[in-house]
Amino acid sequence: MKADTSQFPELDKTKFEQRGTEFKFGIPVTNAVTVGNSIAVGFGDGTVRIFTSGESSEPIKAHKGIVLCMSKDGDNILTGGDDGRFLNISLDGKISEIGSFGTRWVDHVTANNGSLVCSSGNIVYLWSPNHKEPKLFEHNSTIGGIAFDAKGRKLAVSRYGGVTLWKKDYSNKWNSSELNWKGSHNKVIFSPDGKYLVTSMQENQLHFWRLKDKIDSAMSGYGAKIKSFAFVDDSKYLATSGAKEAVCWPFDGDGPVGREPICLPYVGNKLVTFVEPFPNENAILTGLSDGSVFLSEIEKASNTIIIRSFTEFEVSAIAVTKDCSHLLIGDMGGNILWTSIWDEKKK
Amino acid sequence: MEETNKQVPVTVLTGFLGAGKTTLLNRILTEQHGKKYAVIVNEFGEQGIDNDLVVDADEEVFEMNNGCICCTVRGDLIRILSGLMKRADKLDAIIVETTGLADPAPVAQTFFVDQDVADRTKLDAIVTVADAVHLSTQLTDHHEAEEQIAFADVVLLNKIDLVDESGLEVVKERIKKINPFAKIINTTKCGVSLNEILNLDAFSLKRVLDVEPDFLTSDHDHEHDDDVTSLSFVSDTPLDMEKFQDWFSKLLQTKGQDILRTKGILDFTGESDRYVFQGVHMLMDASPMGKWPEGKERSSRLVFIGRNLESMNLKEGFENCKSA
Repeated sequence: MKADTSQFPELDKTKFEQRGTEFKFGIPVTNAVTVGNSIAVGFGDGTVRIFTSGESSEPIKAHKGIVLCMSKDGDNILTGGDDGRFLNISLDGKISEIGSFGTRWVDHVTANNGSLVCSSGNIVYLWSPNHKEPKLFEHNSTIGGIAFDAKGRKLAVSRYGGVTLWKKDYSNKWNSSELNWKGSHNKVIFSPDGKYLVTSMQENQLHFWRLKDKIDSAMSGYGAKIKSFAFVDDSKYLATSGAKEAVCWPFDGDGPVGREPICLPYVGNKLVTFVEPFPNENAILTGLSDGSVFLSEIEKASNTIIIRSFTEFEVSAIAVTKDCSHLLIGDMGGNILWTSIWDEKKK
Repeated sequence: MEETNKQVPVTVLTGFLGAGKTTLLNRILTEQHGKKYAVIVNEFGEQGIDNDLVVDADEEVFEMNNGCICCTVRGDLIRILSGLMKRADKLDAIIVETTGLADPAPVAQTFFVDQDVADRTKLDAIVTVADAVHLSTQLTDHHEAEEQIAFADVVLLNKIDLVDESGLEVVKERIKKINPFAKIINTTKCGVSLNEILNLDAFSLKRVLDVEPDFLTSDHDHEHDDDVTSLSFVSDTPLDMEKFQDWFSKLLQTKGQDILRTKGILDFTGESDRYVFQGVHMLMDASPMGKWPEGKERSSRLVFIGRNLESMNLKEGFENCKSA
């Protein structure tokens, strides 16, 4: 039996909202990261909460002001904050400090195979496993983003004027090469197949390099800055925010040059603020500036379903549990939805 | 909802090293009890800063690839302001202390160019602290000093106890020649009432309406070509909108690097609204600002601050915009 909700707009919730758990913290959600079947969420008051099976942990007081960035190292959570600290947090809430930089923010954190990396100002700090002191990589400007390739042998550092690509040789020495493109580069990612490097820029565009021959090109036409982008379905598409559609560039074959992106439209005509690949599928979760979230198949836009209706706050985090059973949505108003992806009754 | 959408005001403190910026900053922080400020500093001076939210940054001037040759922004401000807007507690204001040699143009341009910054914060005013003893020499020796005066909404003329009255007048004349619409406040040890430097909303178009026509300066001494000066024009004859847009956009395109700031109130033929604009180099914020007040004469006023203004035939260009 289905209730007629049309006369009761307050009941007009999606089936995902109806069967999920909603939290209203009133504190902006800054990041979310999947750790196994739990999801760790960072907030604009410096706390981290860990969500497991629809329940939130007590807030973990990690940073003084803001959790600026998050990543993970195995089953541990890594965070950087505006108190200049780079932290390692276990799922049971134990905090250990990896590094501290005073009044300089820790803007980016990442890890690969036990190597822990953060950036503060124009320096990247790398702690190799079992090393107490970090290795320092200095750059010519404040760092916009950092990313390891899948194997952990390459570390891309975006900056003003391009990307510095650090490569570890077989004697474990790091050597750098420069990929230059005028302008300020922010977030950087490798394609999962390691063939491409993509950055978002201060201008409303993305830039990519094909690493085998250093061919590079811009992807432009956006109405806003591209804050969120990710590769989908291994490396077949690059899904991007920054427009009123989720713009998905083809990266299979010879890449996107000379090819049109697939643009997935959404009702409401709002700006896409967050994209998260749906694991192992050619599909994305798309968050909009009004808080609504959709799940779309890239090659079949008609198969779009609504996950969360609007909250009027910009979607700032989406994460899926490792077993793909649940997902978490967070927004700038501090609202969180935890819900099962499949209808458990039907399973 | 309204509360959360409010733009946080940003006050920019400029001035040469030793002029008294940090003294002023500490006065603001200690006197404004119960207010939550974030302070962004770009060089650690010898004096400490008395606030629990101090962000250390490097002044990073980025060129934008937007086809605008003089469009530079401050990358550090974009990063930090965007970060601060994620805070759970709302800030009452943000104060940016620049280094002594900073050019204020990229700071101001950041608020025009970056949408996230413009959505959530607003440039409240540029306050320049100047040393009454040394300003004249600094203006001669460093173009940054001229730019800091040219961009100022308020000039805090500090250490006036160390100059005599005629010396003070000379410095003030020099400031006025560069920037006739900056408010000059005489102080010793930055002793100023804080409502004269905070919450001024100096970059809003509404404030452009306060631009008074009485600073028409006609007697120009011979100046070095690269001195910053100002020129202003008034016309009681309505302007032709098409002619004006044509002239003004070409002017900014070709001379935008030398034109530091512009402000104007325009009376266009056939338009019942006042048109108001203000700009930094090539970037412009413009809008109709309601009807002309009844019973008052309609007139157009235009102010330029910049270098080499004499070579731009501004008077002739402006005259040609008058409706036939």
